[in-house]
Amino acid sequence: MKPFSAWGYLLFTLWGVLLGLITGGWWLAVVAICEVGFGVLYSREGLRPLRRFHFWLFIGTGLALGPFLARGTGETLGPLSLGWTGFLTGLEMAGRAFTLTLAFTLGLSALSLSDLMAVFDRAGMRGLGFSLGVAMNLLSTLQEMVTLTFDTIRLRGGFRRPLVGLRLFLVTLVSNTLRYGDQIVDAATVRAFDPNAGGSVGIYAASRWRRADTELSAVLLVVSLAILFVR
Amino acid sequence: MRDDRRYQLRDWVMIGLFGALWGVVETTLGSYLNVVFPAFTNTFFKGLILGSIGVGVALTGRYFVRKRGSLVLIAVITALLKLLSPAGARIGPVVAILLQGALMEVALLLSREPGAWVYALGGALAVAWNLPHRFLMMAVLYGRSVPEVYQMMVRDGSEMLGFDPSFALGIIAVLLVVRLIAGGLAGWSAWRLGAAVARRLGRRTPVAAR
Repeated sequence: MKPFSAWGYLLFTLWGVLLGLITGGWWLAVVAICEVGFGVLYSREGLRPLRRFHFWLFIGTGLALGPFLARGTGETLGPLSLGWTGFLTGLEMAGRAFTLTLAFTLGLSALSLSDLMAVFDRAGMRGLGFSLGVAMNLLSTLQEMVTLTFDTIRLRGGFRRPLVGLRLFLVTLVSNTLRYGDQIVDAATVRAFDPNAGGSVGIYAASRWRRADTELSAVLLVVSLAILFVR
Repeated sequence: MRDDRRYQLRDWVMIGLFGALWGVVETTLGSYLNVVFPAFTNTFFKGLILGSIGVGVALTGRYFVRKRGSLVLIAVITALLKLLSPAGARIGPVVAILLQGALMEVALLLSREPGAWVYALGGALAVAWNLPHRFLMMAVLYGRSVPEVYQMMVRDGSEMLGFDPSFALGIIAVLLVVRLIAGGLAGWSAWRLGAAVARRLGRRTPVAAR
């Protein structure tokens, strides 16, 4: 069982984003260490981007831009600043990108679809939670439908006249999407589902604020105040 | 009495479906384009193609959910799908999707009656966002000010190519116009597509509620 409720993880994301935006310099390293620590303890899945080449390429872009932005300070080589200033500027940019990206992945990767639906339900946006459920469950069906429609038209030579083929493809795609929509509406109506009514007790329980969330809030508040006052 | 501005079950289903369809474009076509145009190469074409098709899908959805705010909701669903996707949360595309949804909605809110030209305006604004988006993300993620990034890009670009800086401004203007045209075409096509499907299904579109 996850130690925090959906609110706890969302709170951590918000905290990471805010601190990533308002702090600078070496304090970003403190925020990054806190985030990695949280990831190791409570959200291992959220540390997954650290194993990706694209993530480090993105962070490396920040590091590489620093010497260009600090040009004119210290020794230069063409448009590059070869001194510490350029390197430190790049390091700060990379640090900010690191903390912001990790704040998002740590908080959101710990949340399941039902957690998010519960959050929307609790926030009085039951319809949006329902829409998200529809979208998530039909994503693969729609993907398959796109491929199937494209292949059918292609195999029948529909793309020999590209514009006509494209029109046919799009009309079929949207018509089929609407047809799926009608089926879902029928199914939900038969089950007397009302997106404007209150949520069920079960789904509310999934998004209930826990004691661990209060403890996490207190720790985050203390760390934030320490960073803001000491820096 | 039923409030026409209130979202009904069918509206929520359509928002979910068109949000998912935009999500399919982002994931399927996005992965394909990432192979054709790798991340470290020029992102202009990738943004233009993905943006235009995504905006077209969202505006087609708006044709069938004529309620205030529906474009923003479709964008929210797509952004959430993107955040929950196995590829992991990437801030840049999520922010772009949300802002594109908001820009399209603003264009539709400003018009009295939705029509092909209003859709074209919404599409143009949304796809044109790709240009300032880079500045915004540089400012947010790397903590640089917008003029600083702009000056750096123009200065280095003109030095590298041996052009006058004023020519660099011209290039940026051309890139913006190309985006506006592509977005406008996507919006206009979305209106035509919505009408064609409605005719084909014999469906009467709901009364326009801005």
